[in-house]
Amino acid sequence: MSILLAFVAAALFGAGLYMTLSRHVVRMVLGLSMLTTAVNLVLFQAGRIRSAEPPLIPEGAERLGNSADPVPQALVLTAIVIGFALTVILVALALRAWGSHRTLSTDKMRSAQALGDPLTPEPHDDR
Amino acid sequence: MMISALLALSLGGSIAAWPVGRLLGRRTVGWALALLPASLFAGFLRVEAIVAGRTITERWAWAPSLGVELTLRLDGFAFLFCLLITGIGTLVVIYAGAYLSEKPASARVRFLVLLLLFMTAMLGAVLADDLIVLFLFWEATSVLSFLLIGFDVESPSARRAALMSLRITAGGGLALLAAILLIGVTLGTYSLTEVVARAPELAESPWIVAILGGVFIGAFTKSAQFPFHFWLPNAMQAPTPASAYLHSATMVKLGIYLLARFEPVIGGVRGGRDLLIGVALVTMLVGAFQALRAENYKAVLAYSTVASLGILVMLVGLNGPMASVATVGFLLAHALYKATLFFCAGTVLHATGLSKLRQMGGLRRFLPVTAAASLLASLSMAGLPPFLGFISKEFLFEAQIESSWNEVPMAIAVLVNAVIVGVAGVVTLRPFFMGHGRVLEVQHREVPGLLVGPVVLALLGLVISVEPDWIDRTVLRPAVTAVYGQPVDVQVGLWHGVTPMLLLSATVLAIGMLVFVYWVPLHQRLRAHTLLDRYEAEHAYDALLRRIEAAGAGVARRVQRADLRGNLRVVLAAAAGFVLWGLVTAGVPPRVPDGWGDLRIGPGMVALVVLAGGVAATRARSLLAAMMGTGLAGLATALVFLMNGAPDLALTQFAVESLVVVLLTAALLPLPLATPSTRAPHERRRDALLATGLSTLLFAALLDMTAAPQRTEVSQFFGARSYLEAFGRNVVNVILVDFRGFDTLGETTVIALSAVIAWSLLGPRVPREARFLASSRPAAFVLLKAVPVFYWLLLALSVVVLLRGHNEVGGGFVGGLTGALAFAIVSLAHGVSRARKTLRWHPLALAGGGLLLAVASGVPGLVTSGAYLGHVWIEANVLGVQVKQGTTLLFDLGVYLAVLGTVLAFLFGLSREAER
Amino acid sequence: MIADALRDGLAVWPVVIPLGAAALTVLLRHRPTLQRSAMEGAVGLTLAAAAVLVERAERGGPVVMEFGGWGAPFGISFVADLLGAVLCTAAGVVALAVAIFARADVRARRRQAGFDPLFLGMLAAVNGAFLTGDIFNLYVWFELMLVTALGLVTLDRRRVQIDGALRYAAMSMMGATFMLVGIGLIYGETGTLDMAHLSAALVGRAPSVTLTASAYLLLAGLALKAGMFPLFFWLPASYHTAPSGVAAALAGLLTKAAFGACLRILLLVFGLGSGATPVPGLPPLLALLAAATMLVSVLAAIAQVDIRRVLAFHVMGQVAYLVMGLALASAFGSAAAVFYTVHTMLVQTGLFLGAGAIARAGRVYDLRVLGGIMHEHPFFSALFAVLALSISGIPPLSGFWAKALVIDAALRVGTPWSGWLAAIALLTGFLTLYSMSTVWTRAFWRPRPGGERTVRRIPPAMVAAVGLMAACTLSLGLGIEPAVRLSRGAERQLTSNRPPIHAGPAVGLARRTP
Repeated sequence: MSILLAFVAAALFGAGLYMTLSRHVVRMVLGLSMLTTAVNLVLFQAGRIRSAEPPLIPEGAERLGNSADPVPQALVLTAIVIGFALTVILVALALRAWGSHRTLSTDKMRSAQALGDPLTPEPHDDR
Repeated sequence: MMISALLALSLGGSIAAWPVGRLLGRRTVGWALALLPASLFAGFLRVEAIVAGRTITERWAWAPSLGVELTLRLDGFAFLFCLLITGIGTLVVIYAGAYLSEKPASARVRFLVLLLLFMTAMLGAVLADDLIVLFLFWEATSVLSFLLIGFDVESPSARRAALMSLRITAGGGLALLAAILLIGVTLGTYSLTEVVARAPELAESPWIVAILGGVFIGAFTKSAQFPFHFWLPNAMQAPTPASAYLHSATMVKLGIYLLARFEPVIGGVRGGRDLLIGVALVTMLVGAFQALRAENYKAVLAYSTVASLGILVMLVGLNGPMASVATVGFLLAHALYKATLFFCAGTVLHATGLSKLRQMGGLRRFLPVTAAASLLASLSMAGLPPFLGFISKEFLFEAQIESSWNEVPMAIAVLVNAVIVGVAGVVTLRPFFMGHGRVLEVQHREVPGLLVGPVVLALLGLVISVEPDWIDRTVLRPAVTAVYGQPVDVQVGLWHGVTPMLLLSATVLAIGMLVFVYWVPLHQRLRAHTLLDRYEAEHAYDALLRRIEAAGAGVARRVQRADLRGNLRVVLAAAAGFVLWGLVTAGVPPRVPDGWGDLRIGPGMVALVVLAGGVAATRARSLLAAMMGTGLAGLATALVFLMNGAPDLALTQFAVESLVVVLLTAALLPLPLATPSTRAPHERRRDALLATGLSTLLFAALLDMTAAPQRTEVSQFFGARSYLEAFGRNVVNVILVDFRGFDTLGETTVIALSAVIAWSLLGPRVPREARFLASSRPAAFVLLKAVPVFYWLLLALSVVVLLRGHNEVGGGFVGGLTGALAFAIVSLAHGVSRARKTLRWHPLALAGGGLLLAVASGVPGLVTSGAYLGHVWIEANVLGVQVKQGTTLLFDLGVYLAVLGTVLAFLFGLSREAER
Repeated sequence: MIADALRDGLAVWPVVIPLGAAALTVLLRHRPTLQRSAMEGAVGLTLAAAAVLVERAERGGPVVMEFGGWGAPFGISFVADLLGAVLCTAAGVVALAVAIFARADVRARRRQAGFDPLFLGMLAAVNGAFLTGDIFNLYVWFELMLVTALGLVTLDRRRVQIDGALRYAAMSMMGATFMLVGIGLIYGETGTLDMAHLSAALVGRAPSVTLTASAYLLLAGLALKAGMFPLFFWLPASYHTAPSGVAAALAGLLTKAAFGACLRILLLVFGLGSGATPVPGLPPLLALLAAATMLVSVLAAIAQVDIRRVLAFHVMGQVAYLVMGLALASAFGSAAAVFYTVHTMLVQTGLFLGAGAIARAGRVYDLRVLGGIMHEHPFFSALFAVLALSISGIPPLSGFWAKALVIDAALRVGTPWSGWLAAIALLTGFLTLYSMSTVWTRAFWRPRPGGERTVRRIPPAMVAAVGLMAACTLSLGLGIEPAVRLSRGAERQLTSNRPPIHAGPAVGLARRTP
């Protein structure tokens, strides 16, 4: 099981990287969110795949019996949330970029590059 | 404490000179500010200890843990320098006051203050015994020289010269710094005295070559030795008082000073003296040669200065006591006559506005006193008796004869001295005494301020040699003793009978006369030879600058590309390279877990679905398909979590994925969905290769990790305490709100602040891009009817999820997401404005309030148990129901609110964008 | 009781104060003046708390705060050792200067866009990264830094800023991904996240694939965030688009926070230079990175014509010196790196603030157009010159000591490659002087080309902010002795006085009986 999951996580990671390398902003964003998912899988396996029991202490019991490792779950939870926040910020940025550059190709967005670029002969200023 | 007091006075006075100078008038300011160097001069004269051959040392602690201390040491050699610095400084300040009388007051005072500051730096440099402190003042002189050379703001050539001198001298300074640090590493001390005392030990060190190299480069750049000499003639762009002070009398001698101090070390290293003398000879020749070719009055003087500095370096390189005597003597003589000549040159430029010698003539009529002073100085420079120059030249030749070097240096010395004689004649006789009528009137006549300097110095050059006893006793002997290390019996006198030195002087004089007589043809012939210009070191300098600029442009072109994909590729490749390098250096094979062990079919299938989603997304042509693929992968991941005992993760992942889909659809509406492929096939292949490589590394690491034995103390601890001490049955949630609550606090901040960003990026702002798509979408009838039901259900559900989170699956975050879904539905059905109305509060208010609540919920624990976020539980009996709640609930509530506010902020913002 | 709470909580105030203030300023978003006073007050208090921490840490060793009262390795704990405290203080000074500058630079519109909460959030994140003793918690703070930085860069919502932020976000998320994977791997191997315990578990352990991958992925992530070649593209792509005050904060805080984390993780967790590190092969890689970063950055800086870009490249060039100190894997090297970090935080901020003031005076950042500022503003020109000389390593300013200490440490190591490193460092110093002298000569000294556009006045707040930094670098240079003592103490506390491994459960039980 763990080998399979390890493989899936790694493969998903690769897929995310491949999409992130796209020049299309939205693809890139999707790729990055896929990366976060893959990383969550990696974190999850840091606790190993040992039991399908959720880490809930049953009524009457005082201690946690045999169950999945709760710590990585907490980490993953935090990571999911942060990844979510970053993803939506990226979406907002992409939307803005479309609004101001009228293109979705990161290759064609060159305003930051052009600002004060020494290799352009004319003094360029953004104001 | 005398010396420290003098130095402090110098520094304080120079700084105070700025406000004071602004108060004084145009005529008085020079004289008034000259009181500072004058009083310092008097102060140094009052130090008798020197005459007795003792040295004064004063220590102040600075950085003991670095072995750096503020040690000042005054011995004979430093004493000579201090007198020169302060004495000539006095005259220069007076002179500058008059010289700049036409300039605006602010500029004049700035110049004078810079001069005084420079004087302070020079004093510090020659007084410092700690090499680090010496370096401090050394660099200070470079910076001040930079400001003085470029004083004329309007002139580009002045700026160029200033930058040139700064880059060369400060660059050489860095080499010196390296040498100093190496000395510190080798000897464990920065004290010059100790370094000299332990010279043999230093000579043994493996670093000695680097050390000497650093010292040499530092000294050569400062004292304008070949191949760094060219900055000095360029520095003539400075106002003449600065040239007289910095670039002939004092600063350029700093390198000589350093070399003389290190003479024992240099002498102890094989080849040290040879190198020194070799460089000196080349410098002498270059200086003499260029002096013959130069046209400008100041340039001629500058090149002759280069030649003289070469002679000084040669003298330091020679061994034997007479070398030290000659060094000291020539140092003094040169300072006196060269400063005088610069003063005279300045007066001439000031008066005529001409710069080329050829254009001048007959100025004796207008500037008689200056002419007289110039004549005296030139006679001393030419080394005619009874002037100091004569004596110093005798010493020079005596040193050469006595030293163990062969004829070549002697011949060169004779030749160069002859040229110097010629120059001496040219710079005085041509402008003042020959070519009558070439200049018919002048703008300025002589004024007292312009006369004091040249006259005093010129007369000194005569008086000293005629009445040598006092100066010999108080200045020369102590200085020589300090340089040579032991007392030397010097007879300063004009007539020692017919000695070889006398004959040599005569020869020099004879050749010099010829040079002078045939100056014009010689000058023109040499100027015709442009061939040598091509090999001027200055061209090398310019070429170097061009190289640097070109290299810079090349690098810039490579590192600031707009191509984000390319950048990301480099980043990924670098990361892969790091890991590979690590694996190579570690040289361990990956551990592999034993077999497929507990492979379960259902979960296995789901895992493969994750993979399928990922692959589908990469292959998808349209954005929607890609989005679906990503979503599929995410949802399947949620299932994987669920099937491996992580319901909380599953729930959260579900909620997040669905929300992302909702938000993305809202965002994608205005975007064009047709997506032409942005990568050429070969690019795609390369990317796939890179991605595969990295994921392979990750796979190997994961296998290795899963094969490693697991350490579970921490999770067992949580399992054991979760209920007993943190009163929660859902261990994950307890970890989030209690054991590792601080992570959650940070995460909540991330969430809340991204709400702020959402509003600043998407919120209403003027000027908004005016562009309208479909204004509002008609919603399905069924949906409209169902909205209130869904709304209330979801809202209630969210609260339940929040409350039971501590014991069952759930928690603040999921609760918040659920609550957000409630409003999402409203806005889907009736548009944003309606949803905002139903919400009542501003999303940011929710986010901020939530964050504040979460932060505040940690304080009670701090107060009661001294642990921030330590939970405090209250049990109360409300209407017979046992209620037990803790600050952790407040914390979770904060999370809930923050999440709710943020999600809504994005939802509203994005759909507002979409509705445009 | 309150006094006790204040004392007990000392280690968290540098984080909690700005966090609370951030929340407050979000709520106060319609009251600009209140926002501003809240922000300034919070910055002042944070600085004060950090200063007190330094004093405590120097006298009594690390000030520890165990969140929730669960000791390490179970709960998260803050370990305010000398390193963390000193860096927090420097961050506080930086924040103070930026806050002063903001009085002239941040108007109602930027306030409404959320300058104050984002700025405070960034300050909190940086302090958290400096103080935390838990490696996952460290990651959280880095994400907070990233988010706030994105918000601050896009404050004006200009298209250049959107473009810059997009690149910044993409590359930084890549770095964060590397870090997170590294953290996951290291937890999988050791079962703990507390750095002191990690170090206890790792130092002396045999190398393994997991550990290697973890270490180098963490390094990659931090190197990216620290702006090291060849992972630094995000920095020149984004810094010059940010509002000047923001750019100053970024330049002063972010890359250094990443380097601070590098110090902790490599020296403490992986025991770099302890002789028993499970990841051999770090020093040569670091040395290579440092050398490459130095040369590339300074050469690229020379080519620039936009002051902000010049400075952005110098930010990376200076970080390279820090990495060089770390690469030496010697006590002297690390101590020098600590001092250099403090110095460069202050000076970089000052220079960027100066650039902002220059643009205010001359309307543009373009060195081809600027000029003649010295004539109108001699005092400000002197202040900027002090900072420029400091970064160029001219004594007695702090920059000189920083360079001298690093190079000295390299020479003391005495291996051939450390000698080469020292030589490259000297060369870079020379090129830095070259670049900064050009900048100063062009912007201040020469008359304005064409001269048609006159120089405008500079608001006193801006001059004050730049002056504060100039005063800092001068006093840091003259008061080198205490500074060196502190940085060496920081290095010692980090490597030798590891915080005692707490018996978590005992503490937990003793505290609380429900």
